[in-house]
Amino acid sequence: MQFLYTAWTVKHKPESTVEIVGNTLAIKALRDWLQSWEKGVPKKRAAFLHGPPGVGKTVTVEALAHELQMELVEKNASDYRTEDAINRFAGLASQYGSLFGGKRIVLLDELDGLMGNADKGGVKAITNIVKTARSPIVLIANNAFNPRFRTLRSYCILIEFKKPSASTILKNLQRICEREGIQPEENVLKFIAQRAEGDVRSAVNDFQALAQGKKQLTYDDVSWLAHRDRQDSIFNVIKLIIYGRTSLGAKKALDMAAVDLDMLFEWIYENVPAHFTDSHDLAEAMDALAMADVYRGRIRASQDWSFMRYVVDYMTAGVAMARQNSKVSGWVPFRFPSRIMMLSRSKAERAMRKNIGLKIRRKCHISVSRASKEVLPYLRIIFKNNTPMAAGIAKWLDLDSEMVEYIVGSKAKTGAITAFLS
Amino acid sequence: MSFEMWAEKYRPKQLCDMVDQKTIVERLKSFAQSKNVPHCIFAGPPGTGKTTAALCLARDLYGEDYREHLMELNASDERGINVVRETVKTFARSRSIGEIPFKILILDEADNMTSDAQQALRRTMERYTGTCRFIMCANYSGKIIEPIQSRCAPFRFSFLPREEHDTYIKHIAERENVKLLSDGLEAIFEVCGGDLRKAINTLQASASMNKPVDSLLVYSVTGKASPYDVQKMLTLAINGDFLGARKQLRDMIQKYGVAGVDIIRQIHKEIFKAEIPEPWKIKLVAITGEIDFRLVEGSDEEVQLSALLARIVEAGSEIKKGK
Repeated sequence: MQFLYTAWTVKHKPESTVEIVGNTLAIKALRDWLQSWEKGVPKKRAAFLHGPPGVGKTVTVEALAHELQMELVEKNASDYRTEDAINRFAGLASQYGSLFGGKRIVLLDELDGLMGNADKGGVKAITNIVKTARSPIVLIANNAFNPRFRTLRSYCILIEFKKPSASTILKNLQRICEREGIQPEENVLKFIAQRAEGDVRSAVNDFQALAQGKKQLTYDDVSWLAHRDRQDSIFNVIKLIIYGRTSLGAKKALDMAAVDLDMLFEWIYENVPAHFTDSHDLAEAMDALAMADVYRGRIRASQDWSFMRYVVDYMTAGVAMARQNSKVSGWVPFRFPSRIMMLSRSKAERAMRKNIGLKIRRKCHISVSRASKEVLPYLRIIFKNNTPMAAGIAKWLDLDSEMVEYIVGSKAKTGAITAFLS
Repeated sequence: MSFEMWAEKYRPKQLCDMVDQKTIVERLKSFAQSKNVPHCIFAGPPGTGKTTAALCLARDLYGEDYREHLMELNASDERGINVVRETVKTFARSRSIGEIPFKILILDEADNMTSDAQQALRRTMERYTGTCRFIMCANYSGKIIEPIQSRCAPFRFSFLPREEHDTYIKHIAERENVKLLSDGLEAIFEVCGGDLRKAINTLQASASMNKPVDSLLVYSVTGKASPYDVQKMLTLAINGDFLGARKQLRDMIQKYGVAGVDIIRQIHKEIFKAEIPEPWKIKLVAITGEIDFRLVEGSDEEVQLSALLARIVEAGSEIKKGK
């Protein structure tokens, strides 16, 4: 198997605005505004591009920078979680241009990422930068009308990007077909374009998953997509990671689908053992996952999301590069993360443990989780062996009979304990 | 024998009842006498009297109706920033009625608070010092952000020394008419390592069997209190069945709620007895130590421990190669 992999969304990224499908008015508006800087600083110093994911907001800025020969300084959400971090690059925007005399665009992408709890200062800091900017600033978010952006909005021209129609997406797919030398049946591209519901990026991803390595593409090849759920795209991603030949290839697999990272972690964690037969390889792969987890913890502790890059590296490249001697003969299917299945199955049980924990907490000054870990096991022993003491404690903790039954694990004993109480 | 949780029944009520942590108690007494308390951090392992000391201090300050001047929050249950913004703030800023102008907020397991929440707390602590004093209890003071540490008087609690532990447990056994044999007491200390809450729970669970408490009984009780089989898991791993071992691990954590640190403590005990190549043993100890530390930092228990299991599988396969 060959898994040298470049995402087509990257490989066939439009280099000029001509290649971008749809949103011609929005592109023109942005171009006009950028050009207006040549005559001096305009009234509104920032453009706020907004619209659903995958419609070409970022690509437009990149293509325009290229066409207008401006330097693009890009930051995305993970880089500017806090006020401090934002002020650190504020200087870039307050200067007239780059060292080499060219002009500069400062792009702040994924502003929606700022919506977390503690980021309020972040939006304020951006607003301050916008007020005094001497280079054009472009802001991008899915939803510009979030109340949090209210003040910021008033300093920006708003440019809306809309979902392109299926026929426009179709044009984009045709362009990629030409460049890849693929000859699809007539209705194939139409089908993919319609399925994407306006999301160009996902259309290209889907198309790549189906078409890569093929010259001909029939409707049968793609029709199963109609029934697919998220699992199929996850299958592809984990295959590329677990059998990745190069670090970069494994890393890039992530771009293939919009999979939740934590979920993907669970998939890899579940499936690594069956696909790494050599015990040293397996240990290395599990080690990489453990390191990814360590960085998840560090993100939690520091709230610094820039550590995410290490989580990604370890769980993709780290796992892929663990493969030295493992040979997998035949096809081993990927399985749904059983840990998650188990979690949902024992949900009722956990709810019960939590309720008992709450009762214990009221009396014993410890947290619910410690109560169920440290006190509950002892209660179990007492309740099984000493009915009077169990009854006394049940009363003292104010447990109902359901809880008593959960603890003691038998109906007869529960009966004895409740009988003793009354 | 009384029919409530002994760990609560015998929790000291006033500072003068506290048998251990002498230097700390002395300082707290002087706070109570001068009717002034700074913000405090009580740091130390579980079951060493942090919460007890805080509650005793409150009782000494306010008398029997101390509950009206006190709020107890458990950060691991309510660790989000909203709790700080709403619950804590509302409590902190309202004035106290009575002789002492401030109230006390005990923030238990404060090291489980998110750093967002800690940041928010820092302002609240400062602004409402006049009306509220904070006592933060934590296992690891390192998990509390620097700015808060610098606003607090630090107190380090340590595990009870052997004699004080023994005196306390014996005292309870006497009061409850439990026949506690000396090897039983020894076993309790061995298993609980100075964690007094755990020790008292173990004593009570053993006593519930209505037999004299000897070491055999204690071990069988603590064995039951952690209904899992680390040895079986390790055997599976050494024989190369990683998936089987991981399944065991998952059951322990998810079904029985066993704490990861307890599992790792057991694994550590077993390493030197295990049938793996000698040089691997110290290698595994190094990994065990690292994983132990990660768990303390709050990493995912199953993910971390299964990385260790995978190494044990590797060690086991070395033996097979040798044969």
